Order: sequence, then structure tokens, then C-alpha cells
Amino acid sequence: MKPRRTRGSWWLLVLVFLALGAQADEYSFDISKYEKKPFELNGYAELKGEDFALNPDGALYKLNYYGQPQRESLTRATETLELAGKLRHDIATFDFRTHSDFQQDQLAYDRTNKFYEAALSLRPRSELTLEAGKRALSWGKGYAFNPIGFVQRPKDPNDPQLAREGYVVADGDFIRNPGGALQTVALTPVLLPVTSDMNSDFGASGHVNPAFKLYALYRDTDLDFAWQGKGSRPARFGFDFARNLKTNFEIHGEWARILDSPKQVTDAQGNVTTEISNATSYLLGLRYLSEANTTYIAELYHNGTGYSDAEADQFYQLVDSAFAQPQPNPLLQKALALGQGPYGRPFAGEDYLYFRAQQQDAFGIVYFQPALFALVNLDDRSFQVTPELQYTGFNNFELRLRLYLLHGGGSTDFGEKPNDRKFEFYVRYYF
Amino acid sequence: MRFALLLSGLLLLASPAWALDGEQILRQVDRNLEPESYESYRKLIDIQPDGSQKSYVLWTIKKGRDKILALFLEPASDKGRVTLRLGDNMWLYVPDVGKPIRITSLQSVTGSIFNNADILRIDYTAEYSVVGVQEQGDRYVLALKAKTEDVAYDKLTMTVDRKTLLPVTIECYAASGLLLKTLHFSNVKDFGGGIKRPAQLETDSPLYKGYKSVMLWSGLKKASYPDEAFTLNYLPRVQELRK
Repeated sequence: MKPRRTRGSWWLLVLVFLALGAQADEYSFDISKYEKKPFELNGYAELKGEDFALNPDGALYKLNYYGQPQRESLTRATETLELAGKLRHDIATFDFRTHSDFQQDQLAYDRTNKFYEAALSLRPRSELTLEAGKRALSWGKGYAFNPIGFVQRPKDPNDPQLAREGYVVADGDFIRNPGGALQTVALTPVLLPVTSDMNSDFGASGHVNPAFKLYALYRDTDLDFAWQGKGSRPARFGFDFARNLKTNFEIHGEWARILDSPKQVTDAQGNVTTEISNATSYLLGLRYLSEANTTYIAELYHNGTGYSDAEADQFYQLVDSAFAQPQPNPLLQKALALGQGPYGRPFAGEDYLYFRAQQQDAFGIVYFQPALFALVNLDDRSFQVTPELQYTGFNNFELRLRLYLLHGGGSTDFGEKPNDRKFEFYVRYYF
Repeated sequence: MRFALLLSGLLLLASPAWALDGEQILRQVDRNLEPESYESYRKLIDIQPDGSQKSYVLWTIKKGRDKILALFLEPASDKGRVTLRLGDNMWLYVPDVGKPIRITSLQSVTGSIFNNADILRIDYTAEYSVVGVQEQGDRYVLALKAKTEDVAYDKLTMTVDRKTLLPVTIECYAASGLLLKTLHFSNVKDFGGGIKRPAQLETDSPLYKGYKSVMLWSGLKKASYPDEAFTLNYLPRVQELRK
């Protein structure tokens, strides 16, 4: 007698077939949808919330929030949209990256719409590329700082991996593979014109600034020599290197010399002088991956155009004096100008230590990455410590949470910042 | 004494013969897996303990024994990333950052069980020496030892099908003897052009309990790209090489 198939066993069979079907489907791979297209568009949208615990005693708080009602905290929301596209035809490619954001807090709102990049590239031969347009070049081997980043906007060491706005340039790439110990040689010449309407924040207008970078991969070491001629900015040159000492241990460094570099220096009475001298900046860094899958990045950075502890102290005294008097007053005008200029730029000190530790797949959770990074001003011992949690396990989503904790006394780099804590959270969706 | 000398002589004679056979098998495994210079598409699927998945699609080109690069086509969050390997040197180019950074073979650019050495694998003969061969039924079992400390896994135990000379499983060990992961090859497929090899690779690791990663191959064929493509300066333009 044949065994009678029950309704339950039929359902089981259906489930098995469905499961097998799902299995076959999840492992299917159709490459036709990945064919190269003449036009591509992708990008990301991001929602970010920030909560600042302000530092009303800080010099930069007083200057940045001058004329505003006194606050202890500030909450800011930012929506960002970045679009990146490519249009291809034969040997030509036009690519662009836009950046739009809308930012709002209790005091103000702000909109930004700009092209970070928009350039036309021609590749007549595999070893030659010529391009013109707005391009964000990225020179130097440093993770958080780049002393030889001569033709680029400075990085934000808090977010070194963020896309940055480029400059309008004409540049090229000539690549040779000689073979042997000298595996690769590549020359990148650049022309960066500055007029009142173009690249005006690079420096003085009326110059077509020439620059170049010569790259070599020699005996497993990356080497770059970089040069920028005198024009909108003083002439400068430098080099960098990077090498793996072991498979899990990399070292890198940069060195740059700026000739006849002007530096505005103030005393506590607001007497500003411009010193002209040669300035040397350098960076030495390492990246180490431990057996526990923790990556450590450490960098020592000397900023040759930065302010010493004593020079910064004079500026902070000036700000204190300006705010001790009835406002407005002439000292305050000077302090405001200097605060919006050289003294107010991020990381305006001379010597910094950057340290970052990040754990991949922490607690056995794939795509979960906690990290901690610190920035220390080595001259005045003030610092910022930032714990971070990041999760990228949801397809095309990135979630990140950070808490910035600043520590420093009066007249110190991080002690005089506008805030002494910041909580930040964002969710980013890539498409 | 005479016996000891005879034994030593026999061992000296036997060792090179063993090594030669093993090296020949490994060379054949390398060529059966891929031509020396090729292009291919790969899909990496990470399966989490709760069954959820995340997948990556890469276009890969290799030239010679030790030049290989992989361009990320999917997911959108990684699109345009390129990893390059020249011998023991590896770099990752991220479009937003705009410059390549050095990475290590033990890291994973995808964050999965597959590390960079798995994703940018060069010929086994370029990285490993055969230190032992055993015949087990219809299989060879090769014991491989890394030629230098820079290689991701210190030792491999590779089980090879005797008939097809294709790998069936590979156990990957750290220098401490710890089993890091096991690779399981399956679904032998004819890619055309004389290439017949496993189209699927599954890996599990005692370090990632409950997780599984799968790699699928498609469009594997002989191809030759210029040397300039395998340089740091070319990484932003690698996408333009695809036909």
C-alpha cells in the first residue's frame, strides 16, 4: 500500500522548493545589468543632527557669536545631497560631483549649492590623460593632514574621508612603467589660474599657478616630489613617502618647505606685524593592524605656518581685553578680523598628534565599527577625544554616532574653541 | 651507520621529487583556476546569522603573476572604489577621498569574511611553496607554506581533485596554527575559451560563527590590459577601461 501524502508533507515540499528557489536566486549572478553605460548617476543623501554644548568663556565662542544672545547650547540639523555623474564618449569623459546642503539651528539657517568637481578628461593613450575643469586633487600620504597638499583645500581632520571642493585647473597624467626596481613613474602637471571670479580663495588674483607632482613606486615604496611655483601663494616644494614595513604595519611621511611665507602675528594690544620667513611643515605617521583586527593610525604633524603657544596666548589676551571693554571698540574689530582670518582657522597651532583606533566587526558583528580618535595640541596639551560608532550592515545605509569631548584650560587651543562638547549623529543613504 | 647514510640519501633524492610534483600540481591549479592575465566579474555575498545579506559586485583584471585590481560596481555606497595589488603592496582608492591609501592583506575592504588577500588573490605559486603532498583517494592534499611573512595566511591545506586539478577545499591557517577560515569550491562551470573552473566559493570561519560569505564568478575570460592600468595614478579612471 502506498503511503498517503498528508497535507502537511505537501506544504513541507512546497517550502523546500521555495527555499531551494530562494537559495538559487540569492546566488544568481547576471552580469548584464553591470554593463558600462554612457551616462551614470549616483550619490548620497544624508540627515545629520548635532547638539553643541557651547563654551561661553572660549575666545572663539566670543568672536563667532558676537552680537548674538548668550547661549549654553545649540542644536543643528543638516540635510545634504551629493550627486556624482559621468558622461562618456569615446576617449572623453565628463564627470561631476555636486554638493547641496541646508543647515538650520536656533540662530540661523544656511543653504549651499555648489559643484565640488566638474571636469572633462581625455585619454588619447593609456599612459596619457589630459583634463580641464574643477577637480579636487589630493596630494600627500597623511591621513589627517597633508603638508604637501599644495593645490587642494585643507582636509578636516575630524572627517578626512569627506569629499572636498576642488579648484578649477588644467592638469595631466603621464604614466610610465620602466620595470625592475622602479616599477612606476608618473608625472602630474597642474595649472591653477586665479582671477577675481575663479579660485579666488586660493590666493592673490592675476596668476596662473604652475605645480607638479612626480610619483614613483621604487622597491615597494611610494615616493612623491611636489612643487608649486610662486604666484598667488609663495613658492613651495616637498616630498612624501609610504611603505609597508610588514604586511600589517605601514609608515608614511610628508615634508614641505614654503619660501618667504608671510605670517600675521598680533600682540596682546592688537599690534599686528607680518613676519616673512621660510616655513617647514612635516608629518610622520603609521598605520597598524593588530591580530584582533584593530586598526591604529597615528600621525605627528608640525605646521610650520602655525602659531606657537606664546603667539596664540597673545591673541587670546587680545580677545579678553577686547571683551573686557565696552563694545564695540577698536580692539574688538582687530580681534574679530584676526579670528575670521589666520587665528581662527582650524588647527592653527604648531604641533599636533592625531591618533585613531578602530575595531572592525566588533563583538563579532560584521559591519559594526566602533572607533576612538584624538587630536592633541602638543604645545599646550589641550586635546579633543571622540568616541565613534558606525554601522554599515544595512544595504546602502551608513549610520554614525559621535561624541566630541574637548579639554583644555584658558589660552589653550581646544580650551578656547566655541564648544566644549558636541554630539553628532547621521544617517546616510547611497543610491 | 651505512643504513642511516642510505636513508639520508634516499630522503634527499625523494624530497625534490615530492616538491616538484607538488609545485607542478599547484602550477596547474593556478592555470586551471584562471589564465595568467584575465578579466572577470565577481559577486561577494555576506550572509549574516539572521539570514540577511549584503552583496558586492566587482570587476577584476589581472596581469601576469602578481598584478591585480578590482573595481566595485555595487553596492552604491562602494561604487567606484578600486583596490590594487602589486605583489605584496595593496592600495585602496576611494573616490570621495581622491587618493589611494595603503591597505593590508588581512584587512577586508568589504568588511566580510573575505579579506583583501582573498579578493585580490594572485597565483598561489607566487605566494606559497609546496611542503607536502598526499594522495587520498581521488584527491591530492597539498600542504603549502607562505614564502614570506607578508602573505596573508602562513599555511594552507589545499585539497585538489585529481582528475580536474581544481581545488575542492582550502583551509587557511595563521602562523600560530589557528584555523582562520575554510574555502569550499563548487559548481564547476565552462566559461568558454578553455576555462572550466568552480563558479562558486563559500567560506566560513570559526572567528565569525554563524556568518557565511559566498563568491560567484561570471564573465571570466583571457584579457590583457596595459601596465599603466595597474598604477596609483590610473585608479580614478579604471572604470573607463571596461568595455
